Amino acid sequence: MIDFIQNTIDGVMIGSSYGLLALGFTVIFGVMRRLNLSYGPTVMIGAYFGTVLYLDFGAGLLAVAAAVVAGAVISGVYVERLCFAPMKAGAGIASMVSSFAIWMQLEQAAVLVLPRHTYPFPPLATGPALEIGPLLVRPDHLIMLGGALLLAAVVQLALYHTRFGLGLRAVIANPIAANLVGVDVGRLVMLAFAAASAIGGVAGFLVLAVDQQVTPMFGMWATLKGLIAMMIGGLGSIPGALLGGLLLGVVEVHSHWLFGPQVRDLFAYFVLFAFLVARPGGLLGRTADVELSHRV
Amino acid sequence: MDDYLVSVLSNIGVISFVALSAYLLLLTGEISFGQQAFFAIGAYAAGMATAMWGWPLALGIAWGAAVGAACAVSLGIPTLRLRGLQFSIATLAFAEMVRILFELFRYQVDIDGEPVGPNGTDGFRSIRYIFDHNIETFDFMMLIYTMLAVTLAGFMLLERSRLGVIFRMIGEDATLASLQGIAVARYKVLAAGIAGALAAVGGGLYAHLTTYVEPRTFDVMLGVHSLAYGLIGGLGTALGPLLGVVIDVGLLESVRLFAGYRMIIFGGLVALLLIFRPRGLLDERLVNRIGRLFRNAISGSTRTGRGSR
Amino acid sequence: MLDVSELVTTYGKIEALKGVSLHVAGGKITCLLGPNGAGKTTLMMTIAGILRPRRGSIKLEGAELVGLSPAKIVSRGIALVPENRLVFPEMSVRENLLAGAYQRRDKSEIAADMERMYARFPQLKERREQLAGTLSGGEQQMLAVARALMSRPRVLLMDEPSLGLAPLIVAEIFDIVAALNRDGTTMLLVEQNAHMALKVAHQFFLMEQGRVTFQGTPGQLAEDEVIQRAYLGTRRAG
Repeated sequence: MIDFIQNTIDGVMIGSSYGLLALGFTVIFGVMRRLNLSYGPTVMIGAYFGTVLYLDFGAGLLAVAAAVVAGAVISGVYVERLCFAPMKAGAGIASMVSSFAIWMQLEQAAVLVLPRHTYPFPPLATGPALEIGPLLVRPDHLIMLGGALLLAAVVQLALYHTRFGLGLRAVIANPIAANLVGVDVGRLVMLAFAAASAIGGVAGFLVLAVDQQVTPMFGMWATLKGLIAMMIGGLGSIPGALLGGLLLGVVEVHSHWLFGPQVRDLFAYFVLFAFLVARPGGLLGRTADVELSHRV
Repeated sequence: MDDYLVSVLSNIGVISFVALSAYLLLLTGEISFGQQAFFAIGAYAAGMATAMWGWPLALGIAWGAAVGAACAVSLGIPTLRLRGLQFSIATLAFAEMVRILFELFRYQVDIDGEPVGPNGTDGFRSIRYIFDHNIETFDFMMLIYTMLAVTLAGFMLLERSRLGVIFRMIGEDATLASLQGIAVARYKVLAAGIAGALAAVGGGLYAHLTTYVEPRTFDVMLGVHSLAYGLIGGLGTALGPLLGVVIDVGLLESVRLFAGYRMIIFGGLVALLLIFRPRGLLDERLVNRIGRLFRNAISGSTRTGRGSR
Repeated sequence: MLDVSELVTTYGKIEALKGVSLHVAGGKITCLLGPNGAGKTTLMMTIAGILRPRRGSIKLEGAELVGLSPAKIVSRGIALVPENRLVFPEMSVRENLLAGAYQRRDKSEIAADMERMYARFPQLKERREQLAGTLSGGEQQMLAVARALMSRPRVLLMDEPSLGLAPLIVAEIFDIVAALNRDGTTMLLVEQNAHMALKVAHQFFLMEQGRVTFQGTPGQLAEDEVIQRAYLGTRRAG
């Protein structure tokens, strides 16, 4: 029983990072209705910015965090300008494949800069785990969970209580009508992309600071985990993204504990598949939100 | 022909089957990230048939195709009502499950004092059919291309047939197609089955070409690549995905000129290409224009023929 | 007030507008009539900057609008109430109105304008926190008009405001049009309902196949001839 509770707590902690990744993904997908496969790799580029700063200049934790976010934003905007902004309506699949091509490009760029397979990343919080009765909670996990909750709240507030959010929701509802009321759609989409990359950057920083190492494979990992959590949570829902991440984390930790790493991944994909088939809208999304036809 | 060239060409031929498999689904309007699963299933099934059960190659590959088609149909039915991204991610989840199941799959028999068969993450080694039967790599390449030619001929026939029109109609607008009285569900499952069989044939050939397979070969990367080939080469004709494979595997993998920078250049070029040609090099419009020119040339020559008489 | 001259807009190789010129007089209601496919909506979308013209100019009080972004055009003082209304369905009535004032920064004035809209459209006030997608067709049309007015336009463009509405509601919409004009709003109105349009219009233009084929004041042309041409197009001689 103690194990079960401990595993659930660990799952929530790990899952909060998936939720954060899904948050950025949800913003991009909500605004564009297109899939950005390069999402993880842009975060990975940010992580490499941070690692270089850490290794070559001995930068502190906050500077590294800032570098990760800045790197993610810069490469995110690069992806938006190249793969999304110039694509006409109806070329959603071209955007997706294009973002895949840029994924390959970013991965190779990272390997060129730092050719070894793994590099160290500064730790978030050292020190012993907190003991709560028989349960253990790592302090860095707590920071990660807090970060995820905070950021989700900020995104939700920004979306529903600011002028930027109002414009963004107008674009999501109908880009032409948004244009007609004076929203500069192109600019707003780019800003949303930058914001989503920044969220991804924060997620990436927290995950890597917990793992204390970075590899070029992190890009693919981040894209997959974010995508799975987003789909489980339900497209287009901010709380859904977070919840989807937490559920994924809990499922993973329990199945890892019971059956080992391979079956853990099998379970994660099975839960995703089962959700899609039985409840395509995910936990909180609406089925109507999903449209990635290769024409529209 | 030198060995390296034979191996590159063989690879191109084999990968073309997965690319065509993804392309067929694109025609019906579905983006699949999971065709690599059927490639894997075909590889394992055909490999087991020849290496473990002593079946002849043709039967082994046909068996692989049948298993691939059956699995594709059983994936196609539950995913029927999924649209767009949901479908894509469901196929991705399925393919990853298949890959992990192969990582867990151990089934070996003793052949000549040696264990043969799938062995978890270590993969499935000694699929030695072409060595045991003294088949030259060149001849095996010719076999791959013969089968590819047959497949392409099938696609050409499909494009002209009622079935091809139905597939494209469903791809354009499934609702409209169903209003026209087309049993959309049935045709979608049919397309999924054919696409599964195609990928599985490629897998069967691949297993015998390389003599061993590993689960990690069949990861998401292979799936997304197969999809990308159609988009790069063009969605207007079945030659499009082939062109995509040739450009990626052939031109870039074999020309070592850009070593270290290959993806930086290629990735950027693909992104630029898709801005100007969002449906690939050989898109519908270009194919249509070439077709018209071709027909005009034929009718023109018959006209001059008649004139000279 | 608004001068369109020699405007050509194309979709690929097809010319939807083949050199359209028209003048919208300040403080007046100008109507644009014509059969389906005449290019009326294309003209409206081009003025609003959603479509880019191939040639020609659009001047608002002498200042060129061609080449500006839709957002800039809104801030210059043009607002379009689009065909089919296009309200933001997942946003509340209040948020739709706020979105209408997106280009403005004067918070207190926006709040005051909001109250003015609620005074003019009491149904919207009742439903201010309701999602726009749950309003009736007529209410959505009023919301679309109010949303456009929130940008304080100098010229209000309306594309088929009566489309798909019951006759009683259509009459109500035209009452609003007339009332807005009495308050000094300049309007360019595209209508299929020639009968209603000619009642409120000060001047009107007939468009057929991408060209303006008649301009004048109501009464210059018999109503049944206008209707004949607006619905069916001109029967070409010979």
